[in-house]
Amino acid sequence: MSVKTFAAIAVGSYELSMKIFEFSGKNRMHQIDMLGRRIDLGSDTYAYGKISAEKVDELCRTLKEFTEIMKAYKVDEYKAYGTSAIRETENAAIVLDQIAQRTGIRIESLSNSEQHFLDYKSVASKGEDYRKIIEDKTAILEIGGGSIQISLFDNDTLVSTQNLLLGVLRIQEYLNRFRVKRSNRENFITEMAMAQLDNYKKLYLKDREIRNLIVIDDYFSPWVIKKAGGEQNRVVVAREIFYKALEQLRGENPARLSVALDIPEEKVPLMFVSGVLIGLLAELMDVKQIWMPGVTLCDGIAYEYAEKQKLLRGEHDFERDIVACAMNMNKRYMGSRKRAEALENISVTIFNSLKKIHGLGSRELLYLRLASILQECGKFISMMNIGESSYQIVMATEMIGLSHQEREIVANVVRFNHSKFIYYSGRNDVCGLDREAYLTVAKLTAILRLANGLDRSHKQKLKGLKASLKESQLILSADTTEDITLEKGFFEERSEFFQEVFSIEPVLKQKKEI
Amino acid sequence: MGAIDFCNPKYYTNRELSWILFDRRVLGEARDKNIPLFERLKFLSITASNLDEFFMVRVASLKDMVNAGYDKKDIAGMTPAEQLAAIDTAIHELVDMQYSTWNRSLTPQLAKNGLLVIGGHEALTEEEGVFVDRYFEENVYPVLTPMAVDSSRPFPLIRNKSLNIAALVRKKDGKGELEFAMVQVPSVLSRIIQLPTDGKARRVILLEEIIERNMNKLFLNYDIVCAHPFRIMRNADLTIEEDEAEDLLKEIEKQLKKRQWGEAIRLEVEEGMDKKLLKILRTELHMEEQNIYEINGPLDLTVLMKLYGLEGYEHLKTPKYISQPVPELPQGCDIFERIREGDILLHHPYQTFEPVVDFIRQAARDKEVLAIKQTLYRVSGNSPIIAALAQAAENGKQVTVLVELKARFDEENNIVWARMLEKAGCHVIYGLVGLKTHSKITLVVRREEDGIRRYVHLGTGNYNDATAKLYTDVGLMTCSEDIGEDATAVFNMLSGYSEPLVWNRLSVAPLWLKDKFLYLIDREKKNAQEGREAHIIAKMNSLCDRNVIAALYEASAAGVRIELIVRGICCLKTGIKGVSENITVRSIVDNFLEHSRIFYFENGGNYEIYCGSADWMPRNLERRVEILFPVNSPGLKEELLHILECQLKDNVKASELKPDGTYVKPDKRGRSLFQSQEFFCQEAIRKAKAASDEIAAVSRTFIPAQHAEE
Repeated sequence: MSVKTFAAIAVGSYELSMKIFEFSGKNRMHQIDMLGRRIDLGSDTYAYGKISAEKVDELCRTLKEFTEIMKAYKVDEYKAYGTSAIRETENAAIVLDQIAQRTGIRIESLSNSEQHFLDYKSVASKGEDYRKIIEDKTAILEIGGGSIQISLFDNDTLVSTQNLLLGVLRIQEYLNRFRVKRSNRENFITEMAMAQLDNYKKLYLKDREIRNLIVIDDYFSPWVIKKAGGEQNRVVVAREIFYKALEQLRGENPARLSVALDIPEEKVPLMFVSGVLIGLLAELMDVKQIWMPGVTLCDGIAYEYAEKQKLLRGEHDFERDIVACAMNMNKRYMGSRKRAEALENISVTIFNSLKKIHGLGSRELLYLRLASILQECGKFISMMNIGESSYQIVMATEMIGLSHQEREIVANVVRFNHSKFIYYSGRNDVCGLDREAYLTVAKLTAILRLANGLDRSHKQKLKGLKASLKESQLILSADTTEDITLEKGFFEERSEFFQEVFSIEPVLKQKKEI
Repeated sequence: MGAIDFCNPKYYTNRELSWILFDRRVLGEARDKNIPLFERLKFLSITASNLDEFFMVRVASLKDMVNAGYDKKDIAGMTPAEQLAAIDTAIHELVDMQYSTWNRSLTPQLAKNGLLVIGGHEALTEEEGVFVDRYFEENVYPVLTPMAVDSSRPFPLIRNKSLNIAALVRKKDGKGELEFAMVQVPSVLSRIIQLPTDGKARRVILLEEIIERNMNKLFLNYDIVCAHPFRIMRNADLTIEEDEAEDLLKEIEKQLKKRQWGEAIRLEVEEGMDKKLLKILRTELHMEEQNIYEINGPLDLTVLMKLYGLEGYEHLKTPKYISQPVPELPQGCDIFERIREGDILLHHPYQTFEPVVDFIRQAARDKEVLAIKQTLYRVSGNSPIIAALAQAAENGKQVTVLVELKARFDEENNIVWARMLEKAGCHVIYGLVGLKTHSKITLVVRREEDGIRRYVHLGTGNYNDATAKLYTDVGLMTCSEDIGEDATAVFNMLSGYSEPLVWNRLSVAPLWLKDKFLYLIDREKKNAQEGREAHIIAKMNSLCDRNVIAALYEASAAGVRIELIVRGICCLKTGIKGVSENITVRSIVDNFLEHSRIFYFENGGNYEIYCGSADWMPRNLERRVEILFPVNSPGLKEELLHILECQLKDNVKASELKPDGTYVKPDKRGRSLFQSQEFFCQEAIRKAKAASDEIAAVSRTFIPAQHAEE
């Protein structure tokens, strides 16, 4: 049996880490080594916008060591991702190229939502534990330096996800700027956080009942896991016990804690901020238990790789989460669920019948589904300018699991569904999309426009629509007794762009009941 | 009952004084008439080399403290100055006893057995005189560097631990003042010179006597007024400024050269040295009265080890013991396969160290091995392990070696090996800043059909095939996944990566090994309080950590039975009412140096056994990287318990610590004698024989053809 060895490298804001995994069939993902070294890139990036040469040297030195270790393990493949410190560096492209030249390791920069998506995957990599917890009503709280991300799950599906600017470094910065006394810190954090969390509760949480809280953070959970000792991967604590741990942290002096935990003293206050935030959310949601799986980005990277390579059968359907998320957006902007579903149906039917022509895959089908669901959300803002407004809404809303470019594609399809298509001209390109992405936008727009024409009345008249490709014609046969004059009319108007893109003439046929 | 303060200094013994008691126990062996004569020479020699090291490190650092005006009290409530005073008295007593042993019992015994050590050149016969003078001219004279002191030539630098002859000389013309002159006794020549024999008794003389006799040939224009040997000891405590040290390796090389010229802290002179001569030495070396030792006999008794090595006299030595094969690991077996069958325990030197070397040799050759990682602390000259590691690197394996440069007195040696490994392509780590890496661990990563498998060897002794024949140690070979993961984490940490969140099985100092011990002791205490069986047996080299001792006192007071087997320093006192009535301490000093550390905890009937590299000393638990590993397989646990039980049964080589602070051999009347080391030797032979018989039995069995029954 062949064993695949994979290295996941995460270039975090203050730590560079690598995990080596082994995939040996049997759906087994096994971590065989873990290396972490503290390199503070974040301070440079956040303060000066650039990473200093010394830090790049340090980074390269460690990456070079990583390559040696990878060689020793005979690693088959690796993936290296950089998070916010890399993302927000002005000269990221130059730095990354330099690193690639010097070490042979290509680091890709992760967008915020991609990073969160990988975080979810890292939790999912815990397999059975994850499934059991997420079946119940669950929230995932990710605590980062700049912001926190709260995602709600219900019955194994992501319901909503929101990013709040309450990251620990940010809060710590305020604490320092306003010279908040030690004794008053908790109050300050609480006030600052609750101002935002109250809104969050009103808008998204409402009276949704949440039972479990999954916490992903680099500050507080390592401590709890360490305290728990041996029981790796399974640190589930009841809320009361969590409060006890927090209580202990309140009383400890930073110098002592730093020695006991082997962390630098300046990290101790961050741990405290993180702990208070977890406490606030646990109270806000009235959760029963808190799970700190102690996973890191590396776990997510490896899980994603394994899924792609079909080394693991993913137990969780992440695409479903993304679609559910879009449905929720549609609902928030007063869109009709029925219409969205109908449109999605028609688009998918057309897409599938054209497989040979458009050459697009399942990921693109997902974009089309999302665009179908979201195509009208802009009318919440303006009935006249639906295209632009929808585009803005999609771009402004995070959808976990979509990369920035993917979101751009969906948003553009939504836009051009309503407004004039802008052609690609090499230099003056559409919102930074490359040629490939541009073509995808064009093809999906053509399909969506056609589908939209088929439901012009918004009455879902064409329920049993069938599509089949006959030479240069796409025959769409509708099984309905209703009057479809409106649809027919718009259909012809809309098919123009479709013909331009695919060189195929769509023909609508009504098959009346006997 | 009022609460007892278990940390009260009156419950503790000063560690230096306890160490001196240990050296006296070794001296006790040299005085034991039941021991073969040449073995007694060896023990006497050991007491001398021990004492040298003690001076260079312990006395030196106490002097530093006094000089620096540091007067923090030790565990027993003594200031450095008080300690020095107490030590001086104790050492003078010890030295007197060393030389009375030499003069009164060993020299006459040697003479009786036909070996005459001539005390002074004055006692040579005429023919012998001619012989040594010729020997001097041919062999000694060319390597000598005589030095005289006058206004134009300053007082020479005298090398640490070197043996020298000092003389007062006067110009031949009879005028002028007495001048100081000296010459170093060359260490490149053998210090023992055999005189021609007429076939009867063998006669030997020491080199310095021959030089003394020929002093006039070194200072031709002078008359030799008097000449006497002397020896000095210098402060050698190596404290490295690591924060400033750009390159640790270079720094240590620099320190090594400096070490020879540290402050002089001990002066040994021949008894009856001319007063004027002594005064010059005293003034020039800034010696205080109490640090001068007037010696009645040859200076530097470590020479007796050379005497031990003289050919012949085998009947006066203990027959050499040959380490036995390990039954689980017969020669030529596939070690990895054997480890996969189950954990293996090695007990050195009763069992051979060869499998450990083979483990690395096989790993170096094995196609599937990806990486070998090892910590090296003290390595023997010509180490086969180094050769195997270099081989592995040349075969393209990733080889990571941590060479601890801070191993006391061995730095020079270690630097050479480290360089050699680097050349072969190994990744060499030169220890950690601020911490000495004392743990003994080897990790072999092997790619097997179902993925990576890790093989680990953990030991209580260094990877030194030479000392493995002399030190008692235990080692464990395992491929347990938990321990393998931990071992990987240990090496990652040694390479400068972060500590893992969770350790599976190993406890690592200085991270939290001490907490682990305190926890284990406390657990016994709680068990005792709840009326359960509570029992601790711990075997180690030294016990001087205040927190651990206080915890032991508390446990004892709660009713835990505590049996300690501590070879050397023990700051704990036994038999204090309400404090340590349940604690016994015994020390075993025998042919092999007791070195293994084994810890037994009753744990309410489900006993646990740990082994490791750490003593219960603050330096082990706080300033070194140490590993404590549990032994889980029931069979191996029993073996370890058996080792402890045998040592507790020993009534020949064990001494027990009495409440008055003395060590006394147990009462043997009416009891059969039991000597644990001897027993282990015999046991290893029996086991090896049984195993080889079994193999023989298998290979020699014929299978007769049977009549096929219907």
